[in-house]
Amino acid sequence: MTTEIVAFEKTLQELGLGDGWKWDKGSWWLTPPEPIDVRATALHMGKLNARFVAITAIELPDKEIRLDYQWDVDGKLLSFVCGTVARQIPTIADLCPAADWVERETHEYFSVEFTGRESTKPLMTRAGDPLGINLHKEAAK
Amino acid sequence: MSFRIPIGPYHPALEEPYKLELICDGETVSDAVMNVGFNFRGIEYLAERRNYLQGITLVERVCGICSNVHSLSFCQAVEQLNGAEPPERALYIRVILAELERLHSHFLWSGIAAKLIGFKTIFMACFTLREKVMDALSAISGNRVNYGMNRVGGVNRDIADPQAVLNILDEMEQGITKTIIPIFLNDKTVESRCKGVGILSMEHAKAMGAVGPLARASGIGQDMRRAAPYAAYDRFHFNVPVETAGDVQARLVVHALEMIESCGILRQALMHLPEGPIHTTPPTAARFKVPAGTAISRVEAPRGEVLYQVTSNGTDIPERVRVRTPTFMNMATVRFTVLGQELADAPLIQASCDPCYSCTDR
Repeated sequence: MTTEIVAFEKTLQELGLGDGWKWDKGSWWLTPPEPIDVRATALHMGKLNARFVAITAIELPDKEIRLDYQWDVDGKLLSFVCGTVARQIPTIADLCPAADWVERETHEYFSVEFTGRESTKPLMTRAGDPLGINLHKEAAK
Repeated sequence: MSFRIPIGPYHPALEEPYKLELICDGETVSDAVMNVGFNFRGIEYLAERRNYLQGITLVERVCGICSNVHSLSFCQAVEQLNGAEPPERALYIRVILAELERLHSHFLWSGIAAKLIGFKTIFMACFTLREKVMDALSAISGNRVNYGMNRVGGVNRDIADPQAVLNILDEMEQGITKTIIPIFLNDKTVESRCKGVGILSMEHAKAMGAVGPLARASGIGQDMRRAAPYAAYDRFHFNVPVETAGDVQARLVVHALEMIESCGILRQALMHLPEGPIHTTPPTAARFKVPAGTAISRVEAPRGEVLYQVTSNGTDIPERVRVRTPTFMNMATVRFTVLGQELADAPLIQASCDPCYSCTDR
């Protein structure tokens, strides 16, 4: 496994995905000190023929939301760890149609606004329902 | 003249509630709008308010068909966090359950597809075979659905008599090779209803992130059992059937061939089931507390890749449980598959994506 990890680390660098990747518990993780440009990453992943897998939102103590953008490259799962600013982050749905439903769901569950979308129609909830239904604090009210 | 035809959320053509609005020019579908969420139960929200043991039972209720893969994915994620290593026999039993569940799901799908094609004899044949799988699952777990087999560190029940399951497997394999495969591959009625109908191009499948048999019928050959093996899958020989036509017939063929591969995996696992314990029992405190961190588990469900991301804050209740199901990715492709098709074919086309709305909505 160690040899495999070292080899794929090198592959990630060769694919132009930078260094700082760490294999941990089921995924390769990139948590850079500077914010990740999600749109540039989506374009790059498209060129690499990567498959969009998911966006996982996690509530942070400072009311912002951590968003893990997950892509599959030949069976290897890559997770780009990003964060919202004022609960906003640019959309990638226009670059990667597969992200459309995931962004709409994340908007409903965590009240994240994906900027640049023409509209964010409700997916799981109905028009007029409150946003952020998965947020711990809001839900506790 | 353009017509807007709403189908659902409750409609005889749909097995579960969702709403499909078809915009038609005469009898030809020119666009489609999908509405989901009618089965939304807030499973992720609930899982973040229950302890890990309760979580296993809860996530098994995400879906009534592929319930086992949900508890398997969840347990595998937790095992990565707390370091529990299931014994070899438990890993084999997990594979056996997963493949029986795949057979049960594929038989169900094939039966529904046959009914929508207008071939009710095959519907009956598929459901007769499905009963045999249900019998095997019931004999192993005590339940026909929601098997309660997975636990962190192994499985809850042993397979005491592998030969009994092998006997059932012989009967099923005969039914698949002598009835289902010849009909799905060679019958002219099936061909006339399915060939060239509801095409999902590889380009659209990739763009929409399609997974599982739907993607494999459009030429995308990924299968998590092969691409990122889990449980004991790296010990077995099997093929990943791939078709390139992307139509309903290709989906029928992929499902039928996958059933044969599942039988092969089951035979290998049952014949070489290793001796030993079926679980590692961690100390009581460790059973309820999971070290802080994040882990991801991916499993090839009958409909494709399932992803569970579990984040622990070190307590007995997970901070975050993310569930991404295969149909969540596959459903949006229905819009592309019905475009330009006959309205009368729409029920078969949407069903051929093997949708599960319970999984989608969670």
